[in-house]
Amino acid sequence: MNAICTKNLTKKYALGWRQGRLLALDSLNLQVNDGEVYGLLGPNGSGKSTTLKLILGLISRTDGDAWVFDVPCDKVQSRLHVGFLPENPYFYKYLTGMETLEFYGRLCGMRGAPLQKRINELLELVGLTRARDRRLAGYSKGMLQRIGLAQAMIHDPKLLLLDEPTAGVDPIGSRDIRDMILRLKNMGKTVLLCSHLLEQVQEVCDRIGVLNLGKMILEGNMETLIRDQRRLTFTVQDLSDSARAQVEATVRAAGGQVLSVAHPQTTLESLFLDALKKDERGMGHHD
Amino acid sequence: MTESQVNLTTAATAIKPGRVGFSLHRVWIIGLNTFTESMRQKVFNILLIFALVAISSASFFTEFTFSEQLKFMKDFCLGAVSVFGTLIAIVGTAQLLPNELENRTIYTILAKPVRRLEFILGKYIGMALLLFISVLMMSLMLGAVLKIKEARMVMVAQQGVDQASTPDAREAAEGDLAQIRADTADLDIIKGIILIFIKLSLLAAITLLISTISTSMIFNVAVAFMVFFAGHLRSAATEAWAHHKIWLALLAILPDLGAFNVADDINLGNLIPWQHVGLVAADGLGRIVIILIATHLIFAKREI
Repeated sequence: MNAICTKNLTKKYALGWRQGRLLALDSLNLQVNDGEVYGLLGPNGSGKSTTLKLILGLISRTDGDAWVFDVPCDKVQSRLHVGFLPENPYFYKYLTGMETLEFYGRLCGMRGAPLQKRINELLELVGLTRARDRRLAGYSKGMLQRIGLAQAMIHDPKLLLLDEPTAGVDPIGSRDIRDMILRLKNMGKTVLLCSHLLEQVQEVCDRIGVLNLGKMILEGNMETLIRDQRRLTFTVQDLSDSARAQVEATVRAAGGQVLSVAHPQTTLESLFLDALKKDERGMGHHD
Repeated sequence: MTESQVNLTTAATAIKPGRVGFSLHRVWIIGLNTFTESMRQKVFNILLIFALVAISSASFFTEFTFSEQLKFMKDFCLGAVSVFGTLIAIVGTAQLLPNELENRTIYTILAKPVRRLEFILGKYIGMALLLFISVLMMSLMLGAVLKIKEARMVMVAQQGVDQASTPDAREAAEGDLAQIRADTADLDIIKGIILIFIKLSLLAAITLLISTISTSMIFNVAVAFMVFFAGHLRSAATEAWAHHKIWLALLAILPDLGAFNVADDINLGNLIPWQHVGLVAADGLGRIVIILIATHLIFAKREI
């Protein structure tokens, strides 16, 4: 069973009086398998959010069909097992973190001690236990994103739709959310992730699709797509200059080309995180 | 995410698989949330201003007779309940949907197994609850001020009785005393308050209908106030355009908001029969149901 399946899904938006219609999504055929992390990529205005809104039944399709776990998307029951984190959520500013999760939990038919237990676990998981009684008006961007993730997971859905979950979040928070997605994957959940952070998508996604101007222009398995079949990389340590010259000569003798020989650079993320780890005062807290 | 050694239990009590029917429970949860949110936005602060108006009204019109003073006070305070209530009903309702869209909360709610009808009804019920509590609190304040005023006037009238030097003067003072008691025991003010509450609920429904069409809060408020004024002018316009059938048909759509105001009758000492209250209330409630059905039909198709 596919978690998400669309057939020729098309959306045209009316632009206003005598301005015609904008083709936001053009015959999308998308299949997200149960249990995989799928990355939907694309520049701004490429149709990512439109796809999510169509899958959630928030907007009506112009043509084509879409199903979630084999239930047509325009039916309310298609959302029984779906959790959604929208882009830049603000939530109800006057509710506390705890009240926010209570509200969403009750909407999903949860109550009493099991709901309280679930809320406590989720607050702990997203690192907001200490901010549970604080109103959301005082939450930082990263904290709002975390409470957003918790509300999406409150009813233990099988499918999570995450729209830019790391937008505006600092590197530590961003890494936490990445870990969280990996953890969800290990729990057997299906995740559809829209993101601009390509590095992060590469780290967590099994498959990706690239949208541009409403059309899917590239799709496939992450490993296969990013592997450059013609090139090879060796990373060696403590090699003398003479030994290096020998290796290069051997490569040339075998008909290969040495394209570059350089010291690998660490990533800015590792550098940043290492610096924080080495700081004797400890890491920054989010709550 | 503090290290992920947290063991997540599966949410076993979450929604059972199968068909998702209409649920009044979810309507109530959304309604209660709407009420809490409005309350914490300090909407009730407006009631403090009402309290000042009510208290100060007790010191107005002291040059008139006891009976006239009470009538003016009731008239003035009922007017104030209506004005403050209208502000809460229109401004409060006009911001409901634009705020939901701005904060993205509508996406998170409708992404759960929640019907659009449950959402829109919940929003309305939350606002109706806010109006009910507001009107109730204003009525209690008004009742308290009336009681204090009555006590003060009874004291003055009693002094008049005690100090009357002639039987005629004594009779007149006793008449005053009886009139004060009769005026304050008059329950017509409760009828006036019931009708104001229904009028406010109708205004909230109209504003919600407007806000399903437009996303601009300013537009919603402006159109709702236009309907408010037109609704108050309806009976006069109906008389003026009695021979224009098209205009009359258009006017019939507008609620006759003037009919909900019984303060003038109270002021003139006219009796307000319960039958009249019942008819006006039934007209208002009927319109609320029709408007909510229209709101649902539009909202069900709306792109969010």
